[in-house]
Amino acid sequence: MTAEIISAEAPARAMRGESMTRRMFRQAWRMRGFQIGLAIFAVLVLTAIILPELSGTTATKPSVKERFLPPIFLEKGTWAHIAGTDQLGRDLFVRSLVGLRNALGIGIASVVLMFVLGTGLGIISGYRGRWVDTILMRITDAQLSVPLIVLAITILGVTRPNFGTIIAVLVLSGWPIYARVARSVTLAERQREYVRGAKILGASDTRIMLLMIAPNVLPPIAFVAVLDVARMMIFEALFGFIGIGVQPPTPTFGNIIADGTKYIVNHWWIPTMPGVLLIIALLSINLMGSALERARNKIFAGA
Amino acid sequence: MAFVLTFLLRRLAQGIVVVFLVSFLIFALLRLIPGDPVRIMLGTNVSEVTLEQKAQELGLRDPIPVQYANYIYDLVRGDLGQSYLLGESGGAAPTAQNKQGGQITAEAELAREAEIKTARAPVLKLIGDGLPFTLQLAGLGLLFTFLVALPLGLSGGLKPERWQAKLAFFTGSLFISLPNFWLALVLILLISSKANLLPSIGYKGFAYTILPAIVLAVELAPVIIRGLSVSVAGSMQQGFVDGGIVRGLPWSRIVWRHVVRNASIPMLNLFGVQIGGLLLGGVFVTEYIFDYPGIGKLTIQAVLQRDFPIIQGVAILAAGVLVLVNILVDLIATYIDRRLKY
Repeated sequence: MTAEIISAEAPARAMRGESMTRRMFRQAWRMRGFQIGLAIFAVLVLTAIILPELSGTTATKPSVKERFLPPIFLEKGTWAHIAGTDQLGRDLFVRSLVGLRNALGIGIASVVLMFVLGTGLGIISGYRGRWVDTILMRITDAQLSVPLIVLAITILGVTRPNFGTIIAVLVLSGWPIYARVARSVTLAERQREYVRGAKILGASDTRIMLLMIAPNVLPPIAFVAVLDVARMMIFEALFGFIGIGVQPPTPTFGNIIADGTKYIVNHWWIPTMPGVLLIIALLSINLMGSALERARNKIFAGA
Repeated sequence: MAFVLTFLLRRLAQGIVVVFLVSFLIFALLRLIPGDPVRIMLGTNVSEVTLEQKAQELGLRDPIPVQYANYIYDLVRGDLGQSYLLGESGGAAPTAQNKQGGQITAEAELAREAEIKTARAPVLKLIGDGLPFTLQLAGLGLLFTFLVALPLGLSGGLKPERWQAKLAFFTGSLFISLPNFWLALVLILLISSKANLLPSIGYKGFAYTILPAIVLAVELAPVIIRGLSVSVAGSMQQGFVDGGIVRGLPWSRIVWRHVVRNASIPMLNLFGVQIGGLLLGGVFVTEYIFDYPGIGKLTIQAVLQRDFPIIQGVAILAAGVLVLVNILVDLIATYIDRRLKY
């Protein structure tokens, strides 16, 4: 397992003045893919925040008269329920939007936490070296060899799954890659003159790690973090689908789709429409992540 | 040759350490989080005394290090233990859950215990039964993956600014945004139940492997498409391409002998680290959704029912396979590119 997925060679020709991170984001900002992704993402997030509050239709209140209404583009579809309604007459669009809210919350929170945890451990491991390093790297090896899904079901299968436990499971399974990258960035950075100079001038190890090394970790791995938000949202949905996600009545993509599966033959839209919204959200995030990746490659190639 | 041997020995030693670490982590995790397997095994209507007796018999009340030592002792002799719940015939072993009714006498309990003990299936056999199905699914899934990803990734990398690259990019982005369980549902609905083209759910012949394999391929393909187009585009920019043109080599030779060969090293590494893990995770989920009788379904059920021996066995097997794949990847890489050190 010596192979690093992401090469973390620190760019030797980092320019004066503007930080790597800012240059990378500026590069990405100019890319079409990033703009499209961001636009879709912004619209979705705003809709998900505002619409369920304004529309007056609630995500959880059943309505017997309006069961199994088809979406707008089918015969008998109505503007009141553009994605149709489910087996209990609840509006699928509003439910999916609330599901999106929950998925985004879990996705972003878990990635932020795994980034902080992984980067922290990786920097300490690379900076201290020796046995701390050996132990930590073997743990990441071991963890990269257990499929996340086994770990997740093992833990979620017995604890009553809620937002906290799901985020914890995702963080637990996702941190090793961040630790790996942070470690190799640290190994490269600590040899550089400015770090050695700071040390001679009496800077403490904590100061060096936090102020000098940590900022270098973001550029090589920012795109992984963005793509991971989408990946974690898929996992969250999958957990819900297997029945070990956030439990109903709180709507999540997973439990809406799982409940709808029983009705798939006659009312196909119930499990399908929430999936479409999830896919659009994932696509927008992945577009941004890929643009960031290309921006990173450009900067690291020294273009 | 001597290098290869020392390399192999060193990597194998490291690999064994990793496998042991995995087995211990899983072992400890299973015992530390709540959920008593004996309770599930014997059902709800047995006395606390019987429960304790059974737990002690299985060694579940010993300290975790002692349990682990016993487990490893059996493991090195090739014994992965027996399932807590599954019977020899593959069905559920007779347990209290199967027998409804009021009070159960002490004799009946004893008799049933004996029955359970003899009927429990060895983990090795359960894994052996599922393995061919899982290998078939994984193999077909990989085949589909390559059929889609190789042409897209290669042409995308060779023509970075043209429509080929855009096609590769958008296919990759779309595929990676499709949740596997949702895709599985939609495919079952459209292809199996509406169009009646392919069967799904369960297994009654090879055709049942095709839909799960497609779902698997959609999950794996983006990683390969992206990796391949990036590394091919990268090696297209290197000096040897211009050098080849100056030397008057035919373009196809430059592409196949130089560009693709150079681009294949990062691909191999990608294969070891990412595809291995993705394939395992993907196989588990697709098998579960399609009710496909492989190791994945076995494991997910085992996890949901706290069947410790099965989970441990599969985790060790999975870690072992990943370690071996990674060693193999490094060996092939040094074969393709002699500049790499062992």
